[in-house]
Amino acid sequence: MFSRSMKALFAFSAVAVLAPAQQIKLPRTADGKPNLQGIWQARSRAAYDLEYHAAKLGMPPGKGVVEGGTIPYQPWAAAKKIENFTNRQKADPVGQCYFPGVPRIMYMEFPFQIFQTPEHVAITFEWSQVYRLIYTNGKAAPHEGIDSWMGDSRGHWDGDTLVVEVKGQNDKTWFDMAGDFHSDALLVTERFTMLDADTIRYEATIQDPKVFTKTWKISMPLERQKNIDRILEYQCQAEVEEANGAFERDPRTWYPDPGAPPSPLGKPALMPPGGALPEVKTGANLRRNADGKPDLTGYYSANAGGANYGLEKHGRDFLTPGTRGVVIDPADGSLPYQPWARAERVNREQPYRGYDDPTAHCFVAGVPRSMYVPSPVQILQPPGYVVMLFERMSWRIIPLINGPLDGRAHIPDNVRLWQGDSVGHWEGDTLVVDTTNLNGKTWLNEVGDVVSHAEHVVEHFIPTADGKITYRATVTDPIVYTRPWTIEIPLNRGSDELLEVACHEDNGDLQHLKDVRDEYRAKQKKGNQAR
Amino acid sequence: MRIGNIVLVMVTLMTGTLLAHHSFTAEFDQNKPVKLSGKVTEMKFSNPHSWIYLDVETNGKMVNWALETGSANALIRRGWKKTDLPAGTVLLVDGWQARNGTATANVSSVTFTDGRRLFAGSSNDAAPQK
Repeated sequence: MFSRSMKALFAFSAVAVLAPAQQIKLPRTADGKPNLQGIWQARSRAAYDLEYHAAKLGMPPGKGVVEGGTIPYQPWAAAKKIENFTNRQKADPVGQCYFPGVPRIMYMEFPFQIFQTPEHVAITFEWSQVYRLIYTNGKAAPHEGIDSWMGDSRGHWDGDTLVVEVKGQNDKTWFDMAGDFHSDALLVTERFTMLDADTIRYEATIQDPKVFTKTWKISMPLERQKNIDRILEYQCQAEVEEANGAFERDPRTWYPDPGAPPSPLGKPALMPPGGALPEVKTGANLRRNADGKPDLTGYYSANAGGANYGLEKHGRDFLTPGTRGVVIDPADGSLPYQPWARAERVNREQPYRGYDDPTAHCFVAGVPRSMYVPSPVQILQPPGYVVMLFERMSWRIIPLINGPLDGRAHIPDNVRLWQGDSVGHWEGDTLVVDTTNLNGKTWLNEVGDVVSHAEHVVEHFIPTADGKITYRATVTDPIVYTRPWTIEIPLNRGSDELLEVACHEDNGDLQHLKDVRDEYRAKQKKGNQAR
Repeated sequence: MRIGNIVLVMVTLMTGTLLAHHSFTAEFDQNKPVKLSGKVTEMKFSNPHSWIYLDVETNGKMVNWALETGSANALIRRGWKKTDLPAGTVLLVDGWQARNGTATANVSSVTFTDGRRLFAGSSNDAAPQK
């Protein structure tokens, strides 16, 4: 490995003598490719309008990024664009928190992080925790004829330029806030060229014979964001629904943000330690990465035994599946609830509470629920990180630290996130992940197992054989429980690829659940008035 | 008909094998079982759930029912294509109506007129292991 990168360095030096333009030294990966890893953001006003434009309310002015200045619309499409522009306040799909599509996601005014392995380039965005998984392994998409909001991205290296072809996008996204649009025939070819260690030239060639008279191209710089060491979350739809009251604060479990009512529960008591857990041995002869650590990379499904319908064992109840029970500590398999929280858990099974489960709103499942919702996860191991991409669009970025959790502090306590703040380290062949700063908005499953903002999760990913991980999560939450507890769930590697779950874009159920809740509340109100 | 290739001999009731993202028990009513028969008007491939729309004649009036099935991704992984359930296909459906009384149902079984059953999606979390 070392010698390969040295060779690459020598080869690079030889070229550099001949080509002065390339004398700038680029960071490179172990396999000699330009190293795009890091946090980036576009420097342009392209998100508002790709063309040169004056200001409008909520739309800062800006220089265009379209080569040649204007987008070559067919006449009907030029008229449609003007209609979109006129109606943009209501018609912009991103205004409704729908996935932005490619290339728009690349130049929205939110940072994103690029991760790079020999087989993948992953881009995780702060905006709604959208991600792109770009396959650079030469494989074709395993499922044909699917369209999605973010499309299917396949990449390859053309010298030092990463070239990505994006196909299969639906016709519902726009290029910008100004209403520039496309059809489902869109083909985007992106080129990522590193100009220096802190700048990428981003180009996107747009082909769509249904809408344009010819192929056209945009180009802009992406700048490394040196002042931030992690990206946070802007969950667009959750912010909308919290602001307009469609999703309501529970002061018992949510983090007490400034101006919010204090928790009625008072300060949590100290907890005794959890019980001893049975030992699980890591596998012999595991496949390993260049750094000697077990290779966990891949597409995994949890054999979760219905954990998304209850962590404790229970039978089937009408349309709620029965569960295996995944609690291994306490040994009797029951969660050590405080009395108020057990009562809340039981209450959450009432039909009128179905609306309160954040995943019914298509919000992020949180930790540990993201690991056992019934949809797959892709694990990547780029240098310095473990990254998890969830099919129900969200991500967890886990920076790896050396040794135990002593040096690196989590982010400030008041910054609360749906997926929390995670750091990881290796204990032998076991990956240990420590997660804090959770927001207390999530439920642990559909029957409403309870967790609060005091939740602290320690996860163990124990590779027992290639493609087999014993997953354990120990949850310490002194607001809800009397002692820590641990669940255990096997994760199995498969050969498929992730698809896209656009959830709130097509959520036909939420209104039904809201009707059930509203009817209950109306009855309660009537009952109170009658009294 | 193409559907013939898709219908699997293994018949799993759709209920409980769906990729739920919300509580079905909360949305649908155990006390409102429905038996429907009618023609498919659309099969909507979507996440978190796909929907079969069915024109059902009730008391001389045509009502378009929305029948909730598995996620598009589960269907795709089962080899389904968008075109596999064409409009006009006649289906017989057992299920439970939504609590809010709309023409919406969670389906427990869907059969063709010749008795074959339609498999409509499954979850990788499917039936819990006991």
